[in-house]
Amino acid sequence: MPRIPTKFFGDRECDADSIYTFPAGLPGFEDQHSFCFLTTPASEPLLFMQSIATPNLCFVMLPILVVDPDYRVALSEEELATLELPSGGTPAIGRDILCAALVCSEAGTRPTVNLMAPIVVNLKTKAGIQVIHGESGYSHRHPLRLEEELVAC
Amino acid sequence: MLIMWRRAGESLLVGDGIEIEVLEAKAHRVKLGIVAPASVAIVRKEARITREENLAAALSADRGMIETLLRRLPGAVPAADTTVTSSKN
Repeated sequence: MPRIPTKFFGDRECDADSIYTFPAGLPGFEDQHSFCFLTTPASEPLLFMQSIATPNLCFVMLPILVVDPDYRVALSEEELATLELPSGGTPAIGRDILCAALVCSEAGTRPTVNLMAPIVVNLKTKAGIQVIHGESGYSHRHPLRLEEELVAC
Repeated sequence: MLIMWRRAGESLLVGDGIEIEVLEAKAHRVKLGIVAPASVAIVRKEARITREENLAAALSADRGMIETLLRRLPGAVPAADTTVTSSKN
């Protein structure tokens, strides 16, 4: 099985079925079209979106329902077409599509997730897109709820 | 902020070379037509924000950030063993 170099996990096995194609890339990364998703038991519930072309590019994500169990994503006809999903359909998160939010944690600030622009992929056809829903009311800097750290005395 | 009312079919001018026309106005959205020099970038604000957030997210993704998240996310597995055991997802 082919192996790809990854940012955090050394070389990982990655067959063609595990590679997701983003026809438009992502904003800021328009030339990145191929990613695979990595998880490990030791890093649940985090999800890693590793670039196939650039080993040093790996996004840290959280499944959207982990952040907000009531999250709703309304896909436009154009987005459904890019995702190779039936017109007029309402795909189910977890069954038809994977929907995840990018985590951002700049130094000295509280980690946030971008709920305004989630990553959505078709679990069957492996087509992917970052949907940008400025009108959705969801924040691009939704603060993550974290437990307080215990300080050792 | 400059605020002005416009009806469908009316325009406004920005500087010498930019015209923004309201083509259609509905209850919850308006359709705009924009004429501007090719040198002026026009993007939806949320697309620009997403681009900046993506760049920041890629830059901030490091082992320290992952360890912090695993230590403090409710329900996360404590990062006692960070070695990768599973193969592909």
